[in-house]
Amino acid sequence: MAARKSRRKEAGDVEAVSELAWPPRGDLAVLNHDLRRVDGPAKISGRARYTHDVRLPGMVYARVLTCPIPRAEVTLDLEPARKIPGVEAVIALAEGGTKWLGQPLAAVAASTPEIAEDGIRAIRVKLEPKPWAVDRAQATAEDAPKVLKDGNLSKENTSGDETEARAALTSADQSVEATYTLPVQHHVCLETHGVVVDYRGGDEATVYCSTQGTFTVPESAARELGLKASQVTTIVEHMGGGFGSKFDLGTEGAAACRLAKALGKPVHLMFSRADEFGAAGNRSGSRQVLHGGASQDGRLVALVGDIEKLGGLQGGSFPGRGPYIYSVEKSFLRVRSVYTNTDVARAMRAPGHPQASFGMESLVDELAYAIGMDPLEFRKKNLKGPVYARQLDAVAREIGWAQHPNKVAPGALKDGMGVGIGFAVSTWGGGGGEGCEVDVRIDRDGGVTASVGTQDLGTGTRTYVAAIVAEELGLPIESVTARIGDSRLGRATPSGGSTTTASLAPAVKDAAYKARTLFAERLSRAMDVPAERLRFSSGRIADERDPKRALSWKQACGELGGDGLSARGTFQPGLSSNGVHGAQAAKVRVDTLTGRVQVLKMAAMQDCGLPLNRMAIRSQIQGGMVQALSYGLLEERVIDSVSGWALNANLEDYKVAHASEIPEMVALIDDEDTRPVIGFSEAAVIPGHGAIANAVYNACGARVRDLPLTPDKVLAALGRVG
Amino acid sequence: MKAFTLANPSTLDQAIGILAARRERGAHGRVQVLAGGQDLLTEMKEHLAEPEVLVNLKGIGGLDRIEIDAAGALSIGALATLSALEENEGVRARFPILHEAARSIGSPQIRSVGTVGGNLCQRPRCWYYRSEHAKCLKKGGTECFSYGGLNKYNAILGGGPSYIVHPSDLAPALVALDAQVVLRGSAGERTLALERFFTLPSEGSILRENVLADDELLVRVIVPAPAPGMRSTYLKFKERGSFDFALVAVALALWPDGGKIARARLVLGGVAPVPWRCAGAETALAAKTMDESVWKAAGEAALQGAEPLGHNAYKVPLAKGLIFRALQSLSRA
Repeated sequence: MAARKSRRKEAGDVEAVSELAWPPRGDLAVLNHDLRRVDGPAKISGRARYTHDVRLPGMVYARVLTCPIPRAEVTLDLEPARKIPGVEAVIALAEGGTKWLGQPLAAVAASTPEIAEDGIRAIRVKLEPKPWAVDRAQATAEDAPKVLKDGNLSKENTSGDETEARAALTSADQSVEATYTLPVQHHVCLETHGVVVDYRGGDEATVYCSTQGTFTVPESAARELGLKASQVTTIVEHMGGGFGSKFDLGTEGAAACRLAKALGKPVHLMFSRADEFGAAGNRSGSRQVLHGGASQDGRLVALVGDIEKLGGLQGGSFPGRGPYIYSVEKSFLRVRSVYTNTDVARAMRAPGHPQASFGMESLVDELAYAIGMDPLEFRKKNLKGPVYARQLDAVAREIGWAQHPNKVAPGALKDGMGVGIGFAVSTWGGGGGEGCEVDVRIDRDGGVTASVGTQDLGTGTRTYVAAIVAEELGLPIESVTARIGDSRLGRATPSGGSTTTASLAPAVKDAAYKARTLFAERLSRAMDVPAERLRFSSGRIADERDPKRALSWKQACGELGGDGLSARGTFQPGLSSNGVHGAQAAKVRVDTLTGRVQVLKMAAMQDCGLPLNRMAIRSQIQGGMVQALSYGLLEERVIDSVSGWALNANLEDYKVAHASEIPEMVALIDDEDTRPVIGFSEAAVIPGHGAIANAVYNACGARVRDLPLTPDKVLAALGRVG
Repeated sequence: MKAFTLANPSTLDQAIGILAARRERGAHGRVQVLAGGQDLLTEMKEHLAEPEVLVNLKGIGGLDRIEIDAAGALSIGALATLSALEENEGVRARFPILHEAARSIGSPQIRSVGTVGGNLCQRPRCWYYRSEHAKCLKKGGTECFSYGGLNKYNAILGGGPSYIVHPSDLAPALVALDAQVVLRGSAGERTLALERFFTLPSEGSILRENVLADDELLVRVIVPAPAPGMRSTYLKFKERGSFDFALVAVALALWPDGGKIARARLVLGGVAPVPWRCAGAETALAAKTMDESVWKAAGEAALQGAEPLGHNAYKVPLAKGLIFRALQSLSRA
């Protein structure tokens, strides 16, 4: 661990006070403990103000009209909307040739949301349908219409040597060839995308935005408003989920800026759920034809894969080059995108990984059973390094694998019911970097404030900002106020790639450390104790040699002048690291008479370097399992390819797991990982659905290769349909 | 939602008087009846229903009673909430099938507002019907889009020309209990078997799912006192455990006689445009021993004549499996 300012230990020094490093875990009083969210009460009680909740004097409400079919020549007559009393502005967002189902066409601002809705409906839309492709079948048909100028398929990316891989397949003891498919998944942020733009003319504007990048907004908003970025303030007090879909201003934000500029009034524009499902991104679909080979002694010897990404008008995601996580002796992968007239896929919690994981983990499982080997042992044999083995063993213990009868084949059913267990692993980066500026202030009255413009994507940023400062100053977390979500505060990086914590925590630590050092120097005179001998703990500052020479926090702060003190911290290498691992296990019960899959239990182990807030970490791991369970069993965007209609752009027919679908979920933190802070939240969503699908096979022999794993597919896999 | 006039009658006769305006040709949709609003208000928000007048029944007293008389017959007012039915101790003790059906509906929030009458009269959930863009048969169009479309959730029995499934959970349970409904209109009251209340698309108006006349209101459901010894269950199979409509539901009442089944009533939900009475399965069960071969035979008989569409053939084995599970659970009771 790099120490920026270390000094030699001298006789009598307990520990180098000035060393900028996380203390040993055993010495931590606040961090590495279960911390309740500092903003929990505000969120639970409804006091927390989200963008959706912002109400300003003179504010108007805007709604968006979207295109109901995937491709059309569109002509708009906005006049009927303008004639409605209460409608204040109507603007066109797209005319002529539209490109995707759900594309925003126009926006209306009115004195109430209801009138804005009436305005949207009053717009006369002439739609001349053009041939479209909304799914793989349509996009790859012989006479398919061209989605993009250059056609419907991207260039291929390949990795590995095809001839070698195919030769290895031929000589493998066992091989499996199968097609695995995953649907398009929506982010389902509970707070839809949207902004409130407070611009009433002049040279200042405030944009309240549900975003995962406070500082990604001002520049684009300024462009729309004709201002400079420095004249736009972005506020993100709280935000209701992003999962990768909420960077920058977006079409909706740009429309709101245009309306605000036209009206000189604050504009509130939040997407409806249907808008959201058509124009706010999604997780790309995936089709993977995988052909894998194994040796009888349990080595993965060959893989040939043909991968398609379905990211709508853009590429979609699939991670890296080569087989996902597992070591395969000879492999060849071909990856390409298939374009459709649907919304552009966006980053979504571990982009591409949950898709790759499902294909690879299913194939690995199939190969293990094909050679008659325990799938847990087969995994351990083909994963690099000791971490996965230890984590797989931990979740296997937690889920009861040792006592489970079906080790190398699905077990016998009892009354048509089978119980099964499945496994899968994950990987992610989660490292940090430059870009955060944190200010810590200590006031004469004892108040401590940590300020940085960052946003809380939901991972508990506000809480750990306060906790790191509290730890450094020897205070309880309640004594520190964390201010975030305001672009007037210190710069911060956007929350993508699980990089926030590893980027921000070091900067907070640096600021807190500087503030403590500065404070110690000031107190040194007043207390007549050398600064380096002053210990900050339990709300007191004491001479480590003579603890009776001490001041309470309040007394000590009284020694500060009216200006108090403040310090700015920035990213410091050595306080965070990179690269995480995770393993998950699922236990399910399958009723083979009805196809019902009930998840009985899930267990996860995850490494994350130094755990800042254990409760928040477990909660993120559980959230990952919940999202994966929902993806695996329920979620799927449905479009009727003939009519072009979105059939489930609502939360009734687009099914997301609710409370009663959630089984016992055990989240384990891998405490053998001694590295400093690392982000991991994306890793937690990667393996769960694969583990569930593998558990279903283990329970009853139904191998479902197409998600979501719904009862019709279970019955079909069991040969009971038709 | 389109602006409307809210009428607040305080008596049934006043309400029926307002409904009489519907008798004018094509005026049915212009006046609609509001009870709990859990379906109608969503239809209005989605612009599937755009009534000019809403007749609010909530101001009419006495329509929400749930009573069991001395003989054991149950009377349920149309405005009784689903949660009131679910929580009624007498219903729970004597009509477990009804308790289970009520409990399976929607969410606690919906059940606390939604009514028994509304549940029986709710409109289909077919995602083509619910899409404003799809002018389907049920909305006066010329095509049932589900027939050749994405029909995973549609009918396998009794379909054509529309292939909706009736979404009510109470309906199959009440039909299994041989319930009757009391309808009241300008011409007075009539009582008919609930089974005859619902209409197949090939029978009644394609625009409706029941026989209610323009000026009629469903005011009460009567469940006759069951013959002694009845066992009953409502088994609902949902794709999502919470807050979902049935892929298939089984409403089963049977009367054991020693180790045999004296008689049974079996009704399926989620498979047909009406609650689907399985007379063949009832025959297959009558006077038979409670064992697995009989349960399987009942399933086979119940699904006789099923005609799956492109994406819903799974409902056949699912329904058979669920019938098996329902019989199995009552055999353990």
